[in-house]
Amino acid sequence: MPARVLLVEDTPTQAEMAKIMLRDFGHDMQHAETGAQALAMAQEWQPDAILVDLMLPDFSGIELMRRLKAAKVDATCIVLTAHGSVNTAVEAMREGATDFLLKPYAAARLRVTLDNALEKRALRKELDTARTELGRESFGGFIGASPAMQAVYRTLESVAASKATVFITGESGTGKEVAAETLHKASPRKNKPFVALNCGAIPRDLLESEIFGHVKGAFTGATENRLGAAKSADGGTLFLDEIGEMPMEMQVKLLRFVQSGTVTPVGGTRAEAVDVRLVCATNRDILAEVQAGRFREDLYYRLYVVPVALPPLRMRGEDVLLIARHLLRNFAREEGKHFQRFDEEAEAAIRAYPWPGNVRQLQNVLRNAVVLHDGEVVTRAMLPGLLLHGAPAMAPAATPAAAPVSATPGTMPIEPLAVSEKKLILAALEHTGQDVPRAAALLEVNPSTIYRKLTAWKKEA
Amino acid sequence: MSALDPEVANQLAEDLPPDVFRTIISTFEEDLTRLAQELAAAAQAGDQQGYERAAHSLAGAAAAVGAVGLEREARIAMDHRQPEPPHVILPRLLNEAKAALQALHALIH
Repeated sequence: MPARVLLVEDTPTQAEMAKIMLRDFGHDMQHAETGAQALAMAQEWQPDAILVDLMLPDFSGIELMRRLKAAKVDATCIVLTAHGSVNTAVEAMREGATDFLLKPYAAARLRVTLDNALEKRALRKELDTARTELGRESFGGFIGASPAMQAVYRTLESVAASKATVFITGESGTGKEVAAETLHKASPRKNKPFVALNCGAIPRDLLESEIFGHVKGAFTGATENRLGAAKSADGGTLFLDEIGEMPMEMQVKLLRFVQSGTVTPVGGTRAEAVDVRLVCATNRDILAEVQAGRFREDLYYRLYVVPVALPPLRMRGEDVLLIARHLLRNFAREEGKHFQRFDEEAEAAIRAYPWPGNVRQLQNVLRNAVVLHDGEVVTRAMLPGLLLHGAPAMAPAATPAAAPVSATPGTMPIEPLAVSEKKLILAALEHTGQDVPRAAALLEVNPSTIYRKLTAWKKEA
Repeated sequence: MSALDPEVANQLAEDLPPDVFRTIISTFEEDLTRLAQELAAAAQAGDQQGYERAAHSLAGAAAAVGAVGLEREARIAMDHRQPEPPHVILPRLLNEAKAALQALHALIH
C-alpha cells in the first residue's frame, strides 16, 4: 500500500538514490534538505514514515526527532547513518526511531526496513484506535465507559466533521445538551458560536423572534433590531432542545429555514443566508409525535438525519459509579468539603438504584449529600432514603411492556426473603422469555442486579 | 586498487535504467565539485566544523555510488582527531574523486 514518506537528506547524491528507490516502491515521497524544512513539511503533510539523516546542516537528526515528537507528528522514523555513527543510531532508537539503515543501503534493504516500520506503525495505530474505542472513560463532556456510551462516542466522533443535522433523543437528564456541545467542540466549527435554545421554555409568541430575530418596531416592545439564535450561531452550531414542544406554526418556519438556509427576522422583508449546523433534541418519542399529527412529517425527515440515542443511566452499568466519583470530587471542591470516595455500601446503593431522573438526579442527590455532610467518605447513611428504601417510579422508556406478574397476597407462602427473591426473578425471566432488561424493568431493578444474582446462583449450584 | 566497489557500483549500473544512472552520476559530479570547494575553503579559513561537515557529506555521497577510495579519504578528513592535516589529505582526496568519476563514466558506456 502506498505510504507517505518524507526523506530528510542534505547530500544530493544520497537523496537522489533514495528518491529513485522510494518511487520504485510506489510511495508518495517528499524531500527535505534541512531539519527545519523537515519539521515544517512533516507538520503540514503528516507523513507515515520519515527517513532521517543524522547529520543535517542546521541541527542533528536526533534533535529533529525530538522536535517531531514535541510537535506530535505521528510518523515512524528510520535513521540513516554511516558506519562511523552506529552508536548515534542506537541513541536515536532510544529517542523513538523505529529502525536504522547503514549507508549505503541497497533497495531491497530499504524496502524491508520501511515495510516493517510501516507495518509496525499500522498495527500500533489499530491497537490505539481499538483501545480508544473500547476503553474510553470519557468523551467531551461525557463520563462513562459502558458499551452503550462507546457507541454514542463513536457516532458523535464520526459525524462531527460533517454538516449533517443530528437528532438527539434520550430521557431527561441523559445529557442531550452535553452531546450537542461535545459534537460542536469536536467539529471544525468549534471556534464559532454554539447557541442553545430550549424550545419548551420559550413562550410560543416569542419563539420565532428568539430563533430568527426581529427588526425594530416588528411588535410592541421591539424597540431595537435583535439577532436571533440562528444568526448568532452563524458559522457554528444551533442547538434546538425540546424540539418536540415546538408549535406547529413554528415548525413550518423552521422547515423553511432548514430548506433554504436563510432567515427572515420577524417584521423583516429580506432573507439573510446563515451557515449553521443544526442539532435538535427531544425526550419525546418523535415518531409517535409525527404519527399523532403533532410534529410535521416533512420536518421530521429534514431533521432526523443522524440519530443519536442517549441511553438512560440504568442501562449504563458501572458508568453510574464513574460519574458519581467524578461528581463527588467536583462538588467537594466547589463546596469546600473533604469527600474523596464512597464506601462500599454507598456504592452498592448507587449501583442498585435505577435513576429515573438519570445523571441530573444523580447530581442532585450527590450535591445534597455533599452539602449536608462532611468527612472523607460518603456512607450509605448520607444518601437519601429514596435510594435506600424507595421504589422509584420508572422512567418512560422502562415502562413494562407487559402486565406485571401478580400473586394473590393471601395465597403467598411465607419463606426466606432470598428464596422469594429468586423465585420472583426467575418468574420474571420466564415471563419475558429470558430477556434480562425487560425482566429488570418489570421488577424495577437494574439489569446488572439480575446478572449478578444469576452469577451468584450459578456459583452456589 | 579500484576506485569503485564493484558490488555497489555495478549493481547500480545494472539495476537502474541508463538515464536514471546517468542522472545519479551527474548529481554525484555536482556534489563532488561543490563539496570539494567547500572542503578547500573551510581548510583555508581554519573552519574545523565546516571542514568536517563537508568531508562527512562527501563520504556519504561517495558511499552511495560505491566510490570506496574517495569515501576512505573523506572519512579520514572528517575524523575530528585529524590524523592527517588538510594539505596532505586534500590532494589525495581529489585524485580519488577524479578516479571515481572516470570509473563511473566508464560504467555508463
